[in-house]
Amino acid sequence: MKEERIKRILLTLGIIFVIIFCLLPFVWMVAVSLSKTPDFLVRGDYGFTIKNYLDILRLENLHFLDYLRNSLLVSGIVAVSSATIGALAAYAVSRLSFPGKIVIVLSVLALSMFPQISVVGYLYKFMSNIGWINTYNTLIFPYIAFSLPLAFWILLSYFSQIPREIDEAALVDGANRAQTLFRVILPITLPGFLSAILLLFMFSFNEFLFALMLTTDFRARTVPVGIALFQGLHGELPWGYIMAASAISSVPVILIALFFQRRIVQGLTRGAVKQ
Amino acid sequence: MNREIREAFFFILPLGIFVLLLMLLPVIGSFWISLWQDVSFLPRKFAGLGNYFRLLKDFQFWQSAGFTLIFSFASVTLEMVAGTIIALVLNESFRFRGIMRGITLLPWAIPSVIGARIWQLIYRYDYGLANYVLRGTSGLSVNWLGSSGGAFLSLILADSWRTTPFVAIILLAGLQSVPQGLYEQAKIDGANLFQRFFKVTLPVIKPVVIVALIFRTIDALRVFDVIYVITGGGPGGFTTSISLYSYKYFLLGDFSYGSTVSIFLFIIAFTITILYIRAGRFREAAL
Repeated sequence: MKEERIKRILLTLGIIFVIIFCLLPFVWMVAVSLSKTPDFLVRGDYGFTIKNYLDILRLENLHFLDYLRNSLLVSGIVAVSSATIGALAAYAVSRLSFPGKIVIVLSVLALSMFPQISVVGYLYKFMSNIGWINTYNTLIFPYIAFSLPLAFWILLSYFSQIPREIDEAALVDGANRAQTLFRVILPITLPGFLSAILLLFMFSFNEFLFALMLTTDFRARTVPVGIALFQGLHGELPWGYIMAASAISSVPVILIALFFQRRIVQGLTRGAVKQ
Repeated sequence: MNREIREAFFFILPLGIFVLLLMLLPVIGSFWISLWQDVSFLPRKFAGLGNYFRLLKDFQFWQSAGFTLIFSFASVTLEMVAGTIIALVLNESFRFRGIMRGITLLPWAIPSVIGARIWQLIYRYDYGLANYVLRGTSGLSVNWLGSSGGAFLSLILADSWRTTPFVAIILLAGLQSVPQGLYEQAKIDGANLFQRFFKVTLPVIKPVVIVALIFRTIDALRVFDVIYVITGGGPGGFTTSISLYSYKYFLLGDFSYGSTVSIFLFIIAFTITILYIRAGRFREAAL
């Protein structure tokens, strides 16, 4: 059939477009990180080396491993805390009857649209006053707050799908509300809870503006800020280092995206399309 | 008080405290700061709406507001088109579709700063990938980041690269909700591939398109990371977004004017949100 052929051709072109569009910049990143000089295209001499990787892992004055550790710790703590707090609220909204429910849901939706720049000036002053600038706390607390709308929406959509009879049965058996949530609902919605944690981890791992304003050096600085502020000694950007650091830092999120793509897609669409 | 209401209160309390202390209070705090003249090393004095009058007359601010608007429009349009194409591809069944879906997520999954750094090097005039390809095919070199048009185009492309996956995933969910029967019926009625897309697919996924559109528009209006890294607002301040403009005042120690600019952005984002919520006609029944 003629139409089937057109469709096949369009599909093939589409697949090629998607692959080039999504992957070419990554190929470029890896290529530069493994070359002696970033200008290998015009020089015509690639000069394969892993020196960039060894250097950023070895040279302590680059602090890359500090940034990575800060990022992983902060993001991990935020993901678990935010998912737990979000689960409590989502449980109440999906299970308990109380007045003003719709107001809470819509307020949380509105909160997810808050521009970060509108709070960061005040946060900076606030964190300076309580002496938290350049600590993990200065990032963990605002990150939890700003990721809560996402956690709440995703978990709400998962909880709403569980029939109420299940927790009613648990309540009859003498469990209280908290036990019902943690021993009955969460185990059933574990995949949903997991996808929420993954998305929240990515959210914190990628955050830039707060980390830029609220941290000052390697003791709390995260990977995105480290990579954005990488400076060479003589003004020229150390592209080999930047790309090697970028490649290493991308590994955790790339692994999450590839292995858990189904979960992430589910989490994202549940959060956004539900409404 | 009813027991269930009390329980609900305690379950929502932690979220409430975080949101109140770290989102609502800081916005009110920023507004409060914007009512003062608060510059490092100078005595603080109350300014009323003085900063807002300064904003109205600030040519550079309006330039950045204009840039942010055009940037958002161009960027979101491109993302919607590219996102639709990717969603249509992923909605077909073919081998390795799962892997393809994972690949599509990658630009969105990595930190925006890393994506921005990669594009910054792609755009480099002398040895970047973009000019290398251009020279090879047409003999031309474009001054990507040194000219205002080039910088604008560069930023749109880099930003769309990062956010298109998000749009594609949302639209894909919409596509999967289109009943197959509708296509069969349209086929019987003699509609071709393109007619089916415009007459059947688009109307059904319209609500999802609107959700993606709103989310992305508000996100684009807040743009910061990509511009901070790739152009730093240049050349000559041409690509300074509102967020970046505000940040530059924070950096100078002028928190009052920086906050004024950021409150302006907050009001715009908030207005769009309210319009969206009202148009959505959300009902309790939907929970």
